[in-house]
Amino acid sequence: MCGIAGVVFKDKDLHPVGRFMTRMLDALQHRGPDSAGFALYGGLGLREHEYLLNIEVKEKPGLLDEVKTKVDTAFPIESEEIIPSVENYIIYRCKVVLESFSQLKPLIMDVDKIDDVIVLNGAHSFEMIKDVGLVKDIAARYNTEDKMGTHAIGHTRFSTESIVDRYHAHPFQSYIIPDITVVHNGQITNYWKIRDPLERKGHVFETNNDTECIVHYIADKLSQNYSLEEALEQSVKDMDGPFSYIVGTPNGVGIAKDQLGLRPGVMAENDEVFAVASEEVALREVMDTSNIEQISPGESRAYTI
Amino acid sequence: MKEFKIDAQRITPRELNRTIKKAAQDNDRIIIENPNAMHYMVAGLTKPVEVVIDGSAGYFAGTMIHGARVHINGNAGWFPADNMTEGEVIIDGSAGDGVGQGIYGGTVVVRKDVGSRTGEIMKNGTIIVGGNSGFMSGIFMMGGRMIILGDISDDAGESIIRGTIYVGGEIKSLGKNAKIDELEEKERNELKELLESYNFHLEEDKYQRFRKIVPRSARPFYGQESEEGK
Repeated sequence: MCGIAGVVFKDKDLHPVGRFMTRMLDALQHRGPDSAGFALYGGLGLREHEYLLNIEVKEKPGLLDEVKTKVDTAFPIESEEIIPSVENYIIYRCKVVLESFSQLKPLIMDVDKIDDVIVLNGAHSFEMIKDVGLVKDIAARYNTEDKMGTHAIGHTRFSTESIVDRYHAHPFQSYIIPDITVVHNGQITNYWKIRDPLERKGHVFETNNDTECIVHYIADKLSQNYSLEEALEQSVKDMDGPFSYIVGTPNGVGIAKDQLGLRPGVMAENDEVFAVASEEVALREVMDTSNIEQISPGESRAYTI
Repeated sequence: MKEFKIDAQRITPRELNRTIKKAAQDNDRIIIENPNAMHYMVAGLTKPVEVVIDGSAGYFAGTMIHGARVHINGNAGWFPADNMTEGEVIIDGSAGDGVGQGIYGGTVVVRKDVGSRTGEIMKNGTIIVGGNSGFMSGIFMMGGRMIILGDISDDAGESIIRGTIYVGGEIKSLGKNAKIDELEEKERNELKELLESYNFHLEEDKYQRFRKIVPRSARPFYGQESEEGK
């Protein structure tokens, strides 16, 4: 089933977006108990060319040191943090300085070559938090309540395809352009028709998960100077199946819904906040919901700051 | 009048519905406080009591009720009044997809806009929408009536078999087997009486603008019209 949510604070100031997104996702917990994830934008405060890597590492003697050496040899580690997770894994977070964004994906692919290690993501303008289990447990583990930001998207997963693990938890990220993320509720039934042309253009797929396909599709369109609104509108025409999904970019959030309206999506907006979600119960956590709108079949909405 | 209040803040839908059914044995009105858009509220209630949901409801509010009168002060999610056989569900705000899906009787009123597929496979009963209704409203409709005061979106009355959809606003497009007819004066009077009983007070010329969507054929897919006894 899956629950999706997004929120934008229109004043561009920092707000406790982690706390708000935690509450939105907790309200949607009944839609998916397998995993949950956040993309919290605007609060990392990284300098130009700085990137934050989240690396899942199995607790095994010497393995973390091997990861550190691999990263540090390529790009000196500026700071690091270890976050305990579950099932004998830790999340190793480190900050590195690259010369350009184009070095990020090759670095990730290089670190991924180490057995029992997978890079969950690398980002400049948002903080990715995703793990298996329930929203409240993940929120406590990663201290999401204290995270500040301008906007965010989030997800609670009810797995219908792909295994349940941290990497397949949403959000999914694309590296075609920086910091594009997607959370998704549904299935893309013309998956290969969407994936093939993207691969022919050289875009790298790491999974067979349809959400990864969506995020590369959107990032590809944005790289061709589509606006977020235009990319979403085109995606609804190109993609088949029941879906609603939310996109996060460095300066906004957008939602799209399939042409038959087979997955839910609601939104509410006032002078301060733009919010979208699977159900009203999540919107209520960030704003008054006396006036909510149903996202219509085939419709998309976006707000950029 | 005996009244009973339930705080839904920290209970599950199952616990809430069990408490409602018990309270319905010897109360006239049940008020649900802090509903917080919970799903499945007032499911399967068969006593003719009044239930007030003091806020918004989630999915399937009032599903399968028989005789209860449910008043939702806020909005409702997908499928309010699903498969109701008798009774009333009134929603002061907006509602999601599938309002009145499959109802056999009773009346559903939504004062603002609703989502898609309103009245899907409804067999009888009445659905009134104060605002607009979305894509494929009345899909596979088999009886009863819908009254949409605003606009109705694409493919209205898709594969409608029986029943009538009255539309006060624009009809974006019709679905298969649907056609538009004009109203008779008698129907306008019936509409006016019904709508005023639910506090919809329209200008007189608005009634003149109503049109109705009805099936082209009662046997659109197989068989013959003669088999309908007409």
